[in-house]
Amino acid sequence: MPSMARPARQSDYARFSPETPIVVDNGGSTFRIGWAGESDPRVAFRNVVQRPRHRVTGETVTIVGDHHDPALMKYFDCTRSSWRSAFDNNVVYQFEIMEYVLDYGFERLGATEQLDHPIMMTECICNPISSRVKMAELLFETYGVPSVAFGVDAAFSYKYNQRLGICREDGLAICSGLATSHAIPFIKGEPVWDACCRTNIGGYHVTDYLKQLLSLKYPYHMSNITWEKAEELKMEHCYIASDYMSELQIFQKETKEAEEKTRYWQLPWVPPQEEAPSEEDLARKAAFKEKQSQRLREMAAAKRSLKISELENELCGLEGLLQQLDEVDEAEGTAVLARMGYLSRQEIESAALKVTQSLRKAKGESNEAEDKVDASLAEKYPLTLVPDEMLTPDQLKEKKKQIFLKTTTEGRLRAKQKRFEEETFKERQNQQDEEKRLENPELYLEELRSRYKELFEKVEQRKRQKTNGHHSNGHSSGGVGRGERLSAAQRERMRLLTTAAFDRGKGEDTFGARDEDWQVYKLMSKDNDDDDDKGQEEDEAELARVTSKLQELDPTFVPKSDQLPEHLPRSRPLTAEDYKIALGVERFRCPEVLFQPSMVGVDQAGLDEMAAISLNRLSARADIDESVKDRIAISILVTGGSSLFPGLVPRLEALIRQSRPYLSPLKVVRASDPVLDAWRGAAIYADSRGFSLQTFSMQDYYEQGEAGLRRHNIVYSLY
Amino acid sequence: MEAEVVSSEMVLPPTLPFKRVQMSEKYPKGQSRGRHWKHLKQILQAENYISYSPDEPNYVNIESPPSMYPSKKYCDITGFEAPYADPRTNLRYVSPDVFKRIRMLPNEYVQRYLTLRNAAVVLK
Repeated sequence: MPSMARPARQSDYARFSPETPIVVDNGGSTFRIGWAGESDPRVAFRNVVQRPRHRVTGETVTIVGDHHDPALMKYFDCTRSSWRSAFDNNVVYQFEIMEYVLDYGFERLGATEQLDHPIMMTECICNPISSRVKMAELLFETYGVPSVAFGVDAAFSYKYNQRLGICREDGLAICSGLATSHAIPFIKGEPVWDACCRTNIGGYHVTDYLKQLLSLKYPYHMSNITWEKAEELKMEHCYIASDYMSELQIFQKETKEAEEKTRYWQLPWVPPQEEAPSEEDLARKAAFKEKQSQRLREMAAAKRSLKISELENELCGLEGLLQQLDEVDEAEGTAVLARMGYLSRQEIESAALKVTQSLRKAKGESNEAEDKVDASLAEKYPLTLVPDEMLTPDQLKEKKKQIFLKTTTEGRLRAKQKRFEEETFKERQNQQDEEKRLENPELYLEELRSRYKELFEKVEQRKRQKTNGHHSNGHSSGGVGRGERLSAAQRERMRLLTTAAFDRGKGEDTFGARDEDWQVYKLMSKDNDDDDDKGQEEDEAELARVTSKLQELDPTFVPKSDQLPEHLPRSRPLTAEDYKIALGVERFRCPEVLFQPSMVGVDQAGLDEMAAISLNRLSARADIDESVKDRIAISILVTGGSSLFPGLVPRLEALIRQSRPYLSPLKVVRASDPVLDAWRGAAIYADSRGFSLQTFSMQDYYEQGEAGLRRHNIVYSLY
Repeated sequence: MEAEVVSSEMVLPPTLPFKRVQMSEKYPKGQSRGRHWKHLKQILQAENYISYSPDEPNYVNIESPPSMYPSKKYCDITGFEAPYADPRTNLRYVSPDVFKRIRMLPNEYVQRYLTLRNAAVVLK
């Protein structure tokens, strides 16, 4: 447990006689060591070891426990080592770590020479024999202790509370530790091991659940939610609801009570410094921008002049060629043409024309030539008007070419005309709109809005159909086949494809006998569903027009596509509110795992059922009847670190009552100190006169070995 | 090592006078890494509890049986009682609002929520 004072090395080790046992409570979360007969352990620390590397010397060092000055950890490189525990569940398995822990414990206790004190050590219930053997081996062979006794912490806790008069001779201990919880019945002051039961759930699961829930709820603050912090929050704020369901209801309805019950953890937050850029900065930026654009301009100019000179050269060459052709006779002319790769004189002329035009364009002069060309269509293509019969084959070829050129030019002209018409239409529409607006601005705006809505929905609908309905559930990722419906056209396509795939080889193949058969391929092709593209384009254009109009006229208007879905958080500067971690439901949801282990996926009975199971198992014994069970039921003790949650005792009592006969007596009490009682009970036990008879000596170890340790069972009722 | 580290005594000394065998003798440098400790599962397997008498209590047979009560279904996100489950992510949820959030969750988070109640898909 954190925030415990650092254990100082004890200096009075030599004061104790060799008969005084050393008492060790080797708990999953905390290691406690002290002297028999004392009221409190001398040293207690978290039962973990860290082996970081020293940054300067590079040697691996061992650090035990967790309450060291965090400032000193800067000298160590902890990246490759984290806290390690010797425990797997509640069983010690890593004896190298155990040895470090024991080293530290004995060293803090002040041991200077061979340990000649008996050891009283706690272990888990029904500890696997190999673990006990290894522990004995460690104590006898490495530390050379004279004798050792192993006992169960929960039983010591019960015995200690029995001594205080909190519970009776017959009773039940419910002990919830770090990794496990146990229920142990006691009869005549002795634990009945056959009737006890264990559920693998404990404080570790509560803390882990809290940590995971918070880090999932606040992914930004994951680094702040450490194990230690979660542990601290758990101890400070978690409680057990008296009725889990009704407590949930309170929070679900967001009542005032829930608000009062919510706790907040404010993370350190510094308001961001909004720094206005300085004059100098601005000037520098502007200068840089200017320089960049200057460079680009220069580059563009250089490129243009290069192109112009190239074109001029080409033009020169072509003109030279034409002149050459003029000078020579026909035969020689064809030879020259062939050499230059041209077919006729006209070709050269048209090439020259093209070059002149691009030259003009490059020089930035207006392209008037085109208009002139358009005007003289008929003159330019004289052959198109002459009937075929009057032409030579050469001229026929030429005519075909001219017809082609003419139609393209005409097409271009028509398009231009259409564009012009559209523009005038738009202008007229705009004028009409304007008139309407001036007549009745309110009505006009209303109309515009409804039109916008209608169009928007139409376009959206189309989009949805196209994108397979992904849009409808706000899930943009994921492909077809994850529960998405296909549109009707796509379904039809899939049907056709499957029939095509499975019909093959069935009966006579008459495909292709009729021409309609081939239609199938057209239907199958993936893009047969865009026949209404044209209408869509029109709609989109209209939508854009209406949107721009609305934007102009209506200051409150926001285009729908710009509106983010409500559940998408908008990026905005973070405030202190974002650094606040709320503990609402979590306060009682996390400890609830003790009662409902299924919440964290452990399929075992919870604390309340464990009591019933334990009592049930007792029934197997011949000497147990209902009166004994009733006696047990009025002495139920809860102990262990996880029983510290407020509200645990009343809840447990209410739940156990459900499994007991009607009106039968029941009493659940909390141990006087659920955390320390186990050590205290063990310390009193080790101090009692009969203790030396209960120990397992080194001689026994060497003579009997494992079999002896297996038989080793202490009697708890010594005091 | 720095003076303040030494004075704080936070580092365990490598040799301790009260030990018969020192750590460095037991786990010589370089070999300690290869040292394998049986995990609880392996320990229990080696114990061979099946051959033991069922009347004798042991680590395995004292375990609690599964709960008699039907396990309640809770919303994975809010913790409230959940009447619905999302067939795509397998997350349980309490209301349409939470459902929207579930569908916005990246798969990594979905898996982490499922891991909390031991229901995540584990690839082996």
